[in-house]
Amino acid sequence: MVSLNFTLSPESSVKIHDALLCLAKFSESVSIEARQDKALLSVFKGRIADARGRDSAIDRCEVSVQERPDEVECRLVVKMVHNQGVTKTYKLTYESVEVMHALFDKNMAQNRWKIQAGCLKEFIEYFGPKTEQLDIYSEDGRVTFMSFTEKITDGKNILKHPLQTAVSASTADFEEFSAQEKLHIIISVKDFKAIVTHADNLRADMSACYSQPTRPLQFSYGGEGMHCEFTLMTAGDYRGTPAPAPSHAVASRSISRAQSTASARTDNHPAPVEMPPPSESGSRASTRRNKVPGSARPPASSNLQQPQSDPEPLFVPLEEEDRRWDPVVYRDEEETLGWTLARTTITSLTTPSATQLQQLDLQPTTVQRV
Amino acid sequence: MRFKATIQNIHTFTKFTASLASLGPVAWVRLDEHEVRFTIIPEQGTQVWAVLSIDTIFEHYTIQSAAANVINLEVPLIPLHRALKSALKATSASIRLTKKDNLPFLVLTITTNTFTHNALSSTITGFGGGGGPHAQSDSTHDTRNDSYDFHGPTPSHDFGPSGRERETVVTQDIPIRVLGQASVEGIHEPRCREPDVHILLPPLMQLKSISDRFTKLALTSHDGGTGGGGGRNAAASGLGPRLEIAANMHGCLKLSIRTDAMNISSVWTGLSNPELDAGQIEGGEEGIAVHPSTRMKELGDAQGKSEEGWAVCRIDGRDWGKVMSVGRLGGRVIACFCHEHALILYVYLSNDEEGGDESVLTVSESLPVSTEKMS
Repeated sequence: MVSLNFTLSPESSVKIHDALLCLAKFSESVSIEARQDKALLSVFKGRIADARGRDSAIDRCEVSVQERPDEVECRLVVKMVHNQGVTKTYKLTYESVEVMHALFDKNMAQNRWKIQAGCLKEFIEYFGPKTEQLDIYSEDGRVTFMSFTEKITDGKNILKHPLQTAVSASTADFEEFSAQEKLHIIISVKDFKAIVTHADNLRADMSACYSQPTRPLQFSYGGEGMHCEFTLMTAGDYRGTPAPAPSHAVASRSISRAQSTASARTDNHPAPVEMPPPSESGSRASTRRNKVPGSARPPASSNLQQPQSDPEPLFVPLEEEDRRWDPVVYRDEEETLGWTLARTTITSLTTPSATQLQQLDLQPTTVQRV
Repeated sequence: MRFKATIQNIHTFTKFTASLASLGPVAWVRLDEHEVRFTIIPEQGTQVWAVLSIDTIFEHYTIQSAAANVINLEVPLIPLHRALKSALKATSASIRLTKKDNLPFLVLTITTNTFTHNALSSTITGFGGGGGPHAQSDSTHDTRNDSYDFHGPTPSHDFGPSGRERETVVTQDIPIRVLGQASVEGIHEPRCREPDVHILLPPLMQLKSISDRFTKLALTSHDGGTGGGGGRNAAASGLGPRLEIAANMHGCLKLSIRTDAMNISSVWTGLSNPELDAGQIEGGEEGIAVHPSTRMKELGDAQGKSEEGWAVCRIDGRDWGKVMSVGRLGGRVIACFCHEHALILYVYLSNDEEGGDESVLTVSESLPVSTEKMS
């Protein structure tokens, strides 16, 4: 009989929401309790604004686990208790599984750097929206982050090749920098963006440590009660001196992380997932990208509320105004007359929509007035 | 073949590219020693012919080629726009033509200097986060100050709310194609007969809002939402909703939609019809005397009440919405109407210096033959 109950403050709920938002970019499920990540996300979705708002701010969020031998399905029960006396209860199904953890041997990872996530956030905004890979390397006291896509050599399509962007900064802009020169380490742009965005939300310093291409890289950051670690597979090559090859210590038991296995402290350990590979929706990455099977990106993730849903992040506020000049995108079937507006509004309030609910296997919401 | 320049007026160049990107995916760009020309000629829809004087967007300009120092390129507009946008906060930006792995690129190099508030922001976070993080941030803070002393060019920065200047260099590689002389020979400014009416358009944002609204209404009634059957012709011919735009030589502009269910018009009055310049017209003064617009002056009135004197064009509402995107440039826009044939917009970007060359963006909308036009 498994028993788990915990209550989150509004602030923590927001944090969990942010973390889930980030994790949803990697996988459909969160492993610690093996629940549906997306469904969980939709519980918190929409509430985030409330938490910051006035009227319907939540007072607390109660979470408990129902797992009884006489019940067929396990349920994770999330109760959003609002200030206004409304309680929203979400029951998510989950599956009890053995949680997998990525192995990462910190001792082997001699290349290390640390920088304010805010700086990286600035960098990622320069990247083209469709690029797939990110090459990180240092040379002559400057560190370069280059986003690129494997070449399409077809002459006709050459113009459709996504913008290749290299952003370089001095190693002096890093809090710490100690990495081998000309060591090219390649990860996925999308993963990097997701992690940086989350780290920036926490206003954290982000650390990276890695040994060599094709071996895992770990990003870590934390603050305000959270500690996040992401272990990513890498590709790349050495264009400089050969890296000191550490023994293939796959079996190393020195997993650097304190375990979060089935602990009640889910609020503090959202990050460790099963080895999150740099997966691409287009799956155009070559095999040497070390894809892990079953790592396909959830197709619906783009529907989720997310800060970077805008493929063209803003550089200056001015652009907001400039956008008014863009041609209108007409949705033919969408009614546009005034009186249909009300319905539109309601739709956006009742996210997740009914169809989503089914898809996510959320139980019908019980709304109680106390 | 060499092309290299520093970009000035990055905002103008960015907005210009954004306007073009609404109208087509690629532009043909012709660079020579005096001007830059952008041409968009899609299979159907709106054509663009834009000529910018070099100093509108570039300075320190170097161009060399075997073909009399002319370079013709095919440039994808969205990547170009995207690349330029990353230069909006730049300290300096330059562009050059280069080859990488035997593929041609326009490379934009952007240097941005940012003043960081490392210590300041972490201290603030520390206060917000309560005791533990605060203490932690203090220690971080100290470390940072040490690092200033070590790396920082300005040792006076020894206090919390100070920062350090960071220099970020961004390079954006825009894939392009270099076009041979033969493939661009046929490109010429869109030709059209002398217009019947030319008029200075009202503020484009106003015009855009109204035409977008009309287009939406036409789409709605076409779906059978309100009117039932309206706009069916347009649907049958595979075209978007048609707006009717008309102007006379007495300062009136009229925008309308007509469906079975409704007929809505907006009329602007008091606009100006610029005088023709005898120097620009074939035949000089005589040419003006027999110019179609001179004849149109005799018809119609300044209130737009009369049925006469209007030069009318039917335009695709969605296309028009894209054309209106040039409004972001804030230029003067003169519309030339060839009755039942074509509508040409001239967008004049005035340079900062008095007497400087004006750059002209020409947007022309020729109509495919449609049933509506023949009726």
